[in-house]
Amino acid sequence: MKSVGKPLPHDSAEGHVTGQALYLDDVRTFDGELHVGFVGSPVACGELFAVDTQPAFAVPGVVACFTAHDVPGHNIFGLITADEPFLADEQLLYLGQPVAVVAAESREALELGRQAVRIECRAAKPILELEEAISKERFLGARLRIARGDVDKKLASAEHQLSGTFSSGGQEQFYLESQASIAYPGEQGQIVVHSSTQNPTEIQAVVAEVLGVGQHEVVCICKRMGGAFGGKETQAAIPAMMAALVAQKTGRPARVIYNKDDDMRVTGKRHEYLTRWEVGFDASGRIEALRCNYFSNGGAATDLSPAVLERTLLHSDNAYYVPHVELNGRICFTNLPPNTAFRGFGGPQAMAVTENVLESIAQHLQRDAYDIRLANLYGIGERNVTPYGQVFDKNHLPEIYASLAAQSQYQQRRQEIAQFNANSKLQLRGLALTGIKFGISFTTKFLNQGNALVNVYTDGTIQVSTGATEMGQGVNIKIRQLVADEFAINTSRVVLMPTSTEKNNNTSPTAASASTDLNGAAAVEACQKIKARLQQFAAERLADPDAGLQASPRHIEFVDGFVIDSRRPQVRVEFQQICDEARRERVDLGARGFFATPGVDFNRETGRGTPFFYFTQGAAVAEVVIDRFTGELRVPRVDLLVDIGQSINPGVDRGQIIGGFIQGLGWVTSEALVYDDQGELLSHSPTTYKIPAVTDLPEEFNVTTFDNQDNVQNIRRSKAVGEPPLMLGISVWAAVKNALSYGGPAEQIDLRLPATGEEVLRCLTQLAAAPDASKTTLAK
Amino acid sequence: MASYFFMRDSILLYVNGHRHLVGGQSALRSLSDFLRRDLGLIGTKIVCSEGDCGACTVLIGRPRDGRFVYQSVDSCIQFMFQLDGMHIVSVEGLSRNDQMTPMQQSMIDCHGSQCGFCTPGFVVAMTGMLEDCQQLSTADLRHGLTGNLCRCTGYTPILDAGTQFDASAHHRLKEIYPEAAMLEDLAENAAGDIEIITGSGSQKHSLFSPDDLNSATKFLDAHPEATIIAGGTDVGVRINKTLELPTSILDLNRLTEMESVSVESDRLVLGARASWAAVEEACAGVAPEFHRILTVFGSPQIRNVGTIGGNIVNASPIADSLPFLYVMESMLTLSSQSGTRRVNINDFYSGYKKFDLRPGELLTKIDVPLPRDDETLKLYKVSRRRDLDIASFTAAIRLRFDGNTIAEASIALGAVGPTIVRPRKVEQFLLGKPFSEATMRQAGELATEEISPISDVRGSAEYRTQLTRNVFLKFFYENQPELLIA
Repeated sequence: MKSVGKPLPHDSAEGHVTGQALYLDDVRTFDGELHVGFVGSPVACGELFAVDTQPAFAVPGVVACFTAHDVPGHNIFGLITADEPFLADEQLLYLGQPVAVVAAESREALELGRQAVRIECRAAKPILELEEAISKERFLGARLRIARGDVDKKLASAEHQLSGTFSSGGQEQFYLESQASIAYPGEQGQIVVHSSTQNPTEIQAVVAEVLGVGQHEVVCICKRMGGAFGGKETQAAIPAMMAALVAQKTGRPARVIYNKDDDMRVTGKRHEYLTRWEVGFDASGRIEALRCNYFSNGGAATDLSPAVLERTLLHSDNAYYVPHVELNGRICFTNLPPNTAFRGFGGPQAMAVTENVLESIAQHLQRDAYDIRLANLYGIGERNVTPYGQVFDKNHLPEIYASLAAQSQYQQRRQEIAQFNANSKLQLRGLALTGIKFGISFTTKFLNQGNALVNVYTDGTIQVSTGATEMGQGVNIKIRQLVADEFAINTSRVVLMPTSTEKNNNTSPTAASASTDLNGAAAVEACQKIKARLQQFAAERLADPDAGLQASPRHIEFVDGFVIDSRRPQVRVEFQQICDEARRERVDLGARGFFATPGVDFNRETGRGTPFFYFTQGAAVAEVVIDRFTGELRVPRVDLLVDIGQSINPGVDRGQIIGGFIQGLGWVTSEALVYDDQGELLSHSPTTYKIPAVTDLPEEFNVTTFDNQDNVQNIRRSKAVGEPPLMLGISVWAAVKNALSYGGPAEQIDLRLPATGEEVLRCLTQLAAAPDASKTTLAK
Repeated sequence: MASYFFMRDSILLYVNGHRHLVGGQSALRSLSDFLRRDLGLIGTKIVCSEGDCGACTVLIGRPRDGRFVYQSVDSCIQFMFQLDGMHIVSVEGLSRNDQMTPMQQSMIDCHGSQCGFCTPGFVVAMTGMLEDCQQLSTADLRHGLTGNLCRCTGYTPILDAGTQFDASAHHRLKEIYPEAAMLEDLAENAAGDIEIITGSGSQKHSLFSPDDLNSATKFLDAHPEATIIAGGTDVGVRINKTLELPTSILDLNRLTEMESVSVESDRLVLGARASWAAVEEACAGVAPEFHRILTVFGSPQIRNVGTIGGNIVNASPIADSLPFLYVMESMLTLSSQSGTRRVNINDFYSGYKKFDLRPGELLTKIDVPLPRDDETLKLYKVSRRRDLDIASFTAAIRLRFDGNTIAEASIALGAVGPTIVRPRKVEQFLLGKPFSEATMRQAGELATEEISPISDVRGSAEYRTQLTRNVFLKFFYENQPELLIA
């Protein structure tokens, strides 16, 4: 009756397909419940003089309207640096920044009330562009740095040098369920907050701070999210605080549901980056020295930006060994909503830079980029120390690269593509293989912990509560599988409860791909405590001293829904019967488990340490076709090979791989955030912000996993899978760059990310205008 | 014929087999609001409120020839007053006796849901596709699901579910919902004009939904300021985003006489209220280029309700259909109480959103001459995403050759000015020229002098200028068969 390793359906699959799974906006309204919304800043930058809420009260049905002055506790919050106002006070930092909270009896009254509030302010010129922030030295926090060797010297002495500036755009998480929260006032000042959040503990903490109450007076619950992708790690806080403030002040239930346009306008996204890079390499394309200066667009407050930037620095090597390396990072202040977590968390930005450097080296040397990648790949037993000093062992990359190149007929297709491009007047094809080595663990050490509460009932059924939140990634079914296997029962007898700070305290956000690792391990630890007690009890129950069988807990086993003494397996007692009897003998059938990832540590001062428990690895081969006249892009084929160890649930993991890859494809091709010169996001809904649609899937899409048993340190030898596949999407961008290399003589093609049709056409036009444009480069 | 005595003040429809008479404010709500808030059917999800994600997809059954014809629509931009006489099926109504349908089971088995928010929309859309066929291929699904966005799964598991479900156990909607009684009730009781007036003073809203053209033009004659709604795919978005309902609405949804689509020997004759789905179907054999463009027009949900007349009077210079209608010299029929007149679409627009529709007039019919065998027509739509996107650039190039010489040239460019641009100088220039790369390169250069593109969220002016330049060369190379590489 093993369930680990089986592709069991998602925990809520039935609710999803029938529409019966409840999201916050689906919860029936309570009598007296208030609709809550906010009034946003009319300018991206300015001074706030006054907020006139009186006109709102003239609207029939408007019940309350609050500003920063009404906040009973702290108005400033922030996980890393407390520098973000809940409601704007004095300074206006970005367009749409919440200034006033309005509560009304109906949605219509709320809308009219929002429109009635008057904001008096003086607008100033906002900083919107990274270049401007850099030149004005408007930075958030300190510079981050990791370095090894003598970069100046090795850059100078290398046989070849290249340098450039790489820009990658931001990305909207585009979870389908917008930010949402419902707060219910309780007795004696207590409050219950339902939030669509990846981080209930953080919501509990900020709500307590804003309301000026103790954390013990706040319960935060999250049943499920309609997608999150990092966008609900910190950004769920403001709507939750709004609902909580109204509930506390009015004594009535309060509901905040952002609409999509507001959500996209005022919440943070993946950080836009600008990176200045210099590389020195030898004639074989092997890198001797690399310097990258990363500038991320942090927006108007710190949020998670330092942690995101840290992960950027820690992924600048990606899959490749760089002997002499200097990595510097700065977070730029701009008048945009504070940028935040998004699947990959700074990793994609770093890895795209590195893969671009490798493509550039290949073009410079007129070599196939695959050969350049192989020349730089991390070694086994040598060339295996990361820039931050962690030894990269259990390196499967050489085998993964070779297998995938063979499976995808890389070399043969390379020939075909060269031929095609030489002949086609209408299209250009491109091909690229890129890889990933993604470090698993929070780089902030203390977050690498999880706790779980396991309650076994007398009918042999089990409720499990952990700090993990379910956003679609399937953590609930994976934990059910782990728990069911501990007791050798069917997963139908295990239920995952809504995540609640009442059951699990001081939890880490469901992030960094590590939720199954941390919470699953904690749940298993709790199960083992209960099992030990049941083994004690069952040993007596199954002993038969008259027949010479003494009680022996170590011989008690859980098998197929029964409990046995392995010395006399023919005598079986049903699991539920043992549970029922154990309770009558006053055996505790509940336990709390705890897990802290062993061995991880990273010193930010020195840029040295072992930040990661292990690495998820993989590679992708993408082929693209671009239209020479319009820049339009098609993806005829993609092959993925991903090392996820021993999968707890292959169905769920396949979904994570494919879904993550397609999100990465969106980031590198069609998803463009467009702002006007006043800081207004113009692409604030699916009409103007284009995530991949079904027809953007590769026409041929081969997804395979790399079988191995060696991730012994992690739960059931599995590997984290949430974030890494997103970065395989970079292969599509690299393939576009490769296609462009056939389009003209320009050696350094300045292709930005995302490679939208407009961007590709810009490059094609630039290539055609190059002085030597009549001679098309078709070597390779 | 409509008369005062038959005037109704509510609409009649069925939802998941249950009869509802809906009047007052509820009749002015969106269908998704009605389902979620009035009926508590929360399986229909709201994400964008603009018909661009499909999470709110439901099926609308229209009585046609003694049965319901079900089509998927975005319920967020359908309003209750548009739905008189119909049967709505939401995700809650797909199954019999609370049993999972084979499609739902397949979605479970194939891991077709992750976060689950888009899932009901996908299940409904795929179930709708099964009304017309037994099995779905990957190609069917790729074409049929362009109106449904999923952010989690990368679609592949959904395509697996759609191709692997147990077709033998699937029941069509007519098996689940016996049609006769509903059809009879609707035929009898969903007839005559409807007038609904709510609120008073500045909050007063009136709706008029006639069931014949004469009533419509009569009403328009008296209320020339009324907002006219057919498919509502544009007006609906505007209502949702501004949260302002027009003061006076004329609904055309019950004018079946304006829905007709016919192919005559050398032309298409299209009622202004013909849906794009109907036009798409009619064009398949006779106007393949136009058909190809219509397959990337909006999404199935949009094409099922959006009308050709709406696309024309919405007067957007980025409308997908217009370049074709321009180069084919399409004729518009405009009707009012004072008569009927015909206008060439090339003379219809005078500026951004300005057009020659007089107070009290309705666009009723469009005559579209079909391309002849001796001419070459190519249509272009460039957008950030191929499907369900608004164009950054559109073009139609129609040339007739005499040997290798260009004998006639009609060109229309979209999204490069306040209206569709007919670059007359280019058309003149091309006449009598050899069809060569040099000619087309020059034409592209010349065309850039006749456009006035702006930079906006869909692209910069430079991008649109470059596309204008390039589209002529692209046309040239596309029509050099020996250069086409498979």
